[in-house]
Amino acid sequence: MTKKKKSILSDQRFIVLLVVIALTAVFSAMSKEFRQYNTMLSLLDFSYYDLLMAIGVTFPIITGGVDLSIGTGMVCYALIGGSMIRNHNVPVVVAMLICVVLGLIIGAVNGVLIGVMNLPPFLATLCTCMITRGLGSLYSATPWPGLTQEGGWFHSIFKLTVGTGRSADRYPIGFLWMILLVLLMEYVLNHTKFGRYTIAIGSNKEAAALSGINVKFYHVMVYVVCGLFVGLAAIAYAAVTPTVQPGTGAGLEMDAIGGAFVGGVAASGGYGSILGTFVGIYVIMLLKTGLPYIGLQANWQQIITGIVLIVAVLIDIVKEKKANSL
Amino acid sequence: MTIKKVIALGLSAAMVAGMTVTPVLAAEDPAAQFEGLKANEAYEFPMMVKSFQSTYWQAAVEGMQKAADELGVTFKAQGPNSESDIADQVNMINTAIAAKPVGMGLAACDTSSVTEALEKCVADGIPVVTFDTGVADAPEGSVVAEVVTDNAQAGAVAAENMYPAIKDVIANAEGQVIIGEINQDATAQNIQLRGAGFINKMIELVKADGKTVAVTGNEFYVNAAEGADAEEKDADVLIQVAVPAQTTVELCSTEAQAILSKENCIAVFGSNQVAAEGVIAANSNLNVLGSDAANGDVIGVGFDAGSIIKAAVADGTFLGAVTQSPLMMGYYAIYALTAAANGDEVEDVPTAGYWYNAENMEDESIAPNLYD
Repeated sequence: MTKKKKSILSDQRFIVLLVVIALTAVFSAMSKEFRQYNTMLSLLDFSYYDLLMAIGVTFPIITGGVDLSIGTGMVCYALIGGSMIRNHNVPVVVAMLICVVLGLIIGAVNGVLIGVMNLPPFLATLCTCMITRGLGSLYSATPWPGLTQEGGWFHSIFKLTVGTGRSADRYPIGFLWMILLVLLMEYVLNHTKFGRYTIAIGSNKEAAALSGINVKFYHVMVYVVCGLFVGLAAIAYAAVTPTVQPGTGAGLEMDAIGGAFVGGVAASGGYGSILGTFVGIYVIMLLKTGLPYIGLQANWQQIITGIVLIVAVLIDIVKEKKANSL
Repeated sequence: MTIKKVIALGLSAAMVAGMTVTPVLAAEDPAAQFEGLKANEAYEFPMMVKSFQSTYWQAAVEGMQKAADELGVTFKAQGPNSESDIADQVNMINTAIAAKPVGMGLAACDTSSVTEALEKCVADGIPVVTFDTGVADAPEGSVVAEVVTDNAQAGAVAAENMYPAIKDVIANAEGQVIIGEINQDATAQNIQLRGAGFINKMIELVKADGKTVAVTGNEFYVNAAEGADAEEKDADVLIQVAVPAQTTVELCSTEAQAILSKENCIAVFGSNQVAAEGVIAANSNLNVLGSDAANGDVIGVGFDAGSIIKAAVADGTFLGAVTQSPLMMGYYAIYALTAAANGDEVEDVPTAGYWYNAENMEDESIAPNLYD
């Protein structure tokens, strides 16, 4: 775990940031519709839940694990929260709390299965993925309150709307909260006991245990923190999705996990950064949003996104090889 | 051969009247064959729905319950988590068949994956009634009747009702104008028929007014279009069809936004609940939809219901939408199964699609079909 001074140019996060800028430039040059403020606004709207999931899942990935339950979990919590509002007249703020608490619970279940009972992360979270998917399907399709409806204030957490209808001004203040959260979690990862132990577990679990770290506890906490962010993602998801549909959510985790990988989180664990995940998610979001604007059909969108992921993981492997040969 | 019993039990008059108000299909009353129908025994039917994902299916189950109560039969509705869980549904169907029911209702997630199951039904003498989605290449003798919306017609109804609102804009346009269509996929038969139904009717209407038209975008729909008479770059009207990589509202919204943000886009059609909600989500930032096309509003038309689409129709964001009648499909599926279980021959029951807008959505003939 020695820290080496590196040139900024060899930092994957910087390279990814350049990719974000390059993609923005290319799409803007090719489509005048893409250049509009509204396009950026929508891109940001739909990026928050992906980013929140990605921040969360970065921690398990750094420990060498993964959390596959984040996509279906997010939809499940949003469904339960939404149906509480619709059918039981629960205030929106309580529904938001329900989302977070459910996230923490499923996170803790994942953590105990993996950290204490030593189930492989892939298997354990695949199971909770199925459970949350099925659990969500017990509820019917539920829209959370719209912006102008009672309880619609929660939309303003992510997007401030001043005025109504066509003359309204919209400000993506959610982006500000995201930056603050990213900085906070970057600090947590690098400068707190929890963060350092997360990295230690991913680098060498046995060595970490031998050095006196309560590996079981911190391993569970890694998944609890992930769950917390999935709970927050559920709120962001409910804010942008007109009707939350039961049975959906499978596949959404891949955008978040892909974003983390693009951002340079090591697939083998032991290394990663929240800043990297942050820029990585925007590569995924730019591809998702930009490719339709330049008229590419859906199948090509998936192919290109897949290729970008391969390149990102290859960079990671090449870097690792270089580091090992030094 | 229809059942013609004179006993005037069975369907209530209101229901029959409901079927005849502004239906898409002006066909003869499909319910007539069930007049006076009674169940010979207290049958129990497995009803395979595509999922309980949307309130659409809940409305269908409601219709089944109503029919079951009237006839004194019972049913068990079951479906996978989501409409794309094809293998799960096939498993459920096989399990249901193994119990040798007197008949089975089926709305197949994937029409090509149920062939084997349907062959088993023929062998075991289990009559199958398909509802919502027909199985075009079903094995001989397996499907005794289908209770489905005529989707090509329903798509055409969307075009017929959209066209008057944009007719003048097309006539007065200086350059090319774009009409967008968002389809959640290009694989399900009902979406395919509906999407193509809209396109073909629109081509017909545009050409009748002396304008040229081209279709671009998703390959399936471009190939399915009939009568387009111009190249993409010099057509007066360009119908642009987008299909997202996955059937999510988010991706439908991105596709819708890419089309809606074009300056010369004058109208857009979302061909099911997910696609229509994607259009609404895209509009939440763009704010281009409205009812006054002459002043630059983009005309939006949806399909199906759900509280979000209903609200958009009520407040004028959408000009209107076409709704199917899941309630009636569920209802007639039980009637058809009961008749089949009695040993009678049954004819197909095409159900109607209805145009609804802010004015008529409260009408008695429309409101029951507008599930939340």
